[in-house]
Amino acid sequence: MFNYILQLLVDTSFSWARMFIALALSILLGLGIGIWAATSRRAEKVIIPIVDILQTLPILAFFPFVIYIIVAAIPGYIGINAAVIFLIITSMLWNIIFGVYESIKELPHEFIELAAIYGMGLKEKLSKIYIPASMPKVMGQSTLSWAIGLFYLVTSEIFSTSSKTYMVKHGIGVALTQLALSGNFSEYIVGILIFIVFVILTRLLFFAPLERYFNKHNMSNIQKTRAIHFVHLMKPSLKLKIPKINIPNFALGKKRDTYSLSNEVGIKPKRRGYANLIYAMLAILFVAAIVSNKTLFSYELSILVALLASFARVWFAFAIILLISVPLSVYLIFFSKRLSAYVLLFQIIASIPATIMLPLIVSLFVKMPFHSEAVAFSVYLLSGIWYIIFSMLSQKAYIPQSIYEVKKLFGIKGLHAWKKIYIYAIIPGLITGAVTGIAAEWNASIVAEYFTSSGIGNGAVLTSVSIGIGKLLDLSLDNGNMVLMLLALLNFTIMIIVINRLVWKRLFNRIEDIYK
Amino acid sequence: MDLLNVENIGYSIGPVHVIENITFTAMKDEFVSIIGPSGCGKSTLLRIIAGLIKPLHGKVLYNGMLVEKPNRDISFVFQDFALLPWLTNIENVKLGLSLFDISEEEKERKAKLLFKKMGLEGFEKAYPNMLSGGMKQRVGLARAIISDPKVLLMDEPFSSLDELTAEALRSDVINMLRSPDIPVSLVIMVTHNVEEAVELSNKVVILSERPSHVKEIKRIELKYPRNKRSKGFMREVDHIYKVLTE
Repeated sequence: MFNYILQLLVDTSFSWARMFIALALSILLGLGIGIWAATSRRAEKVIIPIVDILQTLPILAFFPFVIYIIVAAIPGYIGINAAVIFLIITSMLWNIIFGVYESIKELPHEFIELAAIYGMGLKEKLSKIYIPASMPKVMGQSTLSWAIGLFYLVTSEIFSTSSKTYMVKHGIGVALTQLALSGNFSEYIVGILIFIVFVILTRLLFFAPLERYFNKHNMSNIQKTRAIHFVHLMKPSLKLKIPKINIPNFALGKKRDTYSLSNEVGIKPKRRGYANLIYAMLAILFVAAIVSNKTLFSYELSILVALLASFARVWFAFAIILLISVPLSVYLIFFSKRLSAYVLLFQIIASIPATIMLPLIVSLFVKMPFHSEAVAFSVYLLSGIWYIIFSMLSQKAYIPQSIYEVKKLFGIKGLHAWKKIYIYAIIPGLITGAVTGIAAEWNASIVAEYFTSSGIGNGAVLTSVSIGIGKLLDLSLDNGNMVLMLLALLNFTIMIIVINRLVWKRLFNRIEDIYK
Repeated sequence: MDLLNVENIGYSIGPVHVIENITFTAMKDEFVSIIGPSGCGKSTLLRIIAGLIKPLHGKVLYNGMLVEKPNRDISFVFQDFALLPWLTNIENVKLGLSLFDISEEEKERKAKLLFKKMGLEGFEKAYPNMLSGGMKQRVGLARAIISDPKVLLMDEPFSSLDELTAEALRSDVINMLRSPDIPVSLVIMVTHNVEEAVELSNKVVILSERPSHVKEIKRIELKYPRNKRSKGFMREVDHIYKVLTE
């Protein structure tokens, strides 16, 4: 009895060790890259757009590829751990970079002048100005990174169990998967409880004191809105990877006090001319290459079909997520008196990765018709919904008290209130949440399809979707077909970027002028 | 007869005692200013009068009836305008008629008329953020008076504007409120600007620091429009300053 609990504690500690290593590296990298981007115009032009794209890409799709490359380079235990840590970093880093970048860009110009007047060197500027100024946001973003990182951690550990070559020895993800597969459900539940306890303890014992410490001098705390308590509470995880669909030339100059559209998404000055030409040429080359080669052409066809199947699942789940999350968010923002309590509860639930529940979900659905689709759907839903809810709830901070008073004063109720107030109040959050939520769904799709298709553990296929991009990537890894894998990733990346530009960014541009 | 009675109002936020005990009355055709140092709960008091906030103790009577929630006859103008940024200006103004059971066409007609009267013609379909502060507050005013309220409450309505704009809007407001087709018969305005209070009102309620009570209720008998450089005007201003600071 105590033996397996001890074993689970050891496994969880190993997982947490990976997380702390990844977080430490992410903070170091984030400070370095963020400060560089914020202080050099040339670096800014290159770094920011790239980070922007990277943070909306569902990077898990690249996991099979990354693991293949890294394990090939560094075989054995070290290689696989390096791959896992690398992957966690790819989930943690981007928002930290933006946190640092924005902190420095928002510094009063006098600080920079001060540094010049006193002739500070680089070392002094870093230690006296840039790093202290960035730390409050770095800590805020870190709690968020942690939650996203947990998802990647567990997922990549689960991934690793599918094959002896890529197996991580100790890890809570591995342990839980094996417990579930061997039918030890009571132990599996104990494992999940231990995981949750670790999540809560990390928050209370690690992040809370650090945040308090670094926020002591935080200038942005001097705000006057009544929402302050709320904002403060939400800050850590609510500003979930707010997608910068386009980058912050915007975030800088503009005031944030009123309706900054969830404030991070902005408009890029129009320097499209050449870029469009280059895109068009690349597209022509791409099509030409595919049409001219029979194998590539057949690959492309199967990729498109797989993408379409996954796309349908992801967007169906998104529609259901909206049906749940919109009324819930409106209720919490406009009617509930216990918003902050709910937020805290949600934060804890949200930091339990949907993938850890996968074995449980599979066993729930396994006897039903269409069970593989039901499993996929549940995992998508659980992965995407929190981003969207948190993003909408974070809009609360931008709704001035007077709007609630207007509603009360003029007796705006029911359908009328939905049409005139609620929908509009949450739309900016909805859009930003949708970008990240759908990216999270895509991540989940890779895992769900992979998990269900590759018969984790003893090779027992539990349930398997018949077609999808995750399954395709998995098959190509199994067969060592790098061409198919790279082509699939390319298609996938293009699709994500195109949807972000054509759908979300357009929607955003349309409302941006009105809200600002 | 008194149109509005404010009786023994008290209010606290958590442990902080904001309003100690405030009592005053207001009659038909009065313009009452409430003035006091910042943090003394002026805006809170106005919201209590509007029925937006419940007081800790005391009551507000309108026409002898208890005000416990917002009331059709009492309207409100906000310091930060409180226009919904996602609705056009005319949609914002029509919100003022939400409680009224009249057709959409009738609302549209009334709103258009008001836009004309308030010098807002041509801005109906624009969004609030395309307007200057002065124009925004005109929209805010239009929303407040479209329902023909008897009592108009204004929470520092000019303090978000630059001085020149505020000056112009103040005189427009006075003229508008005196015109016979506007049925507003009582205005209560919160302000921290002594000159503004003397320029506009015929009764000034001077509040103390927190926890606030009424220091003095000063009647101002000067004729409208008031000349800010006149001796009488200066005397009133000096008097209020003295009461505020003593």
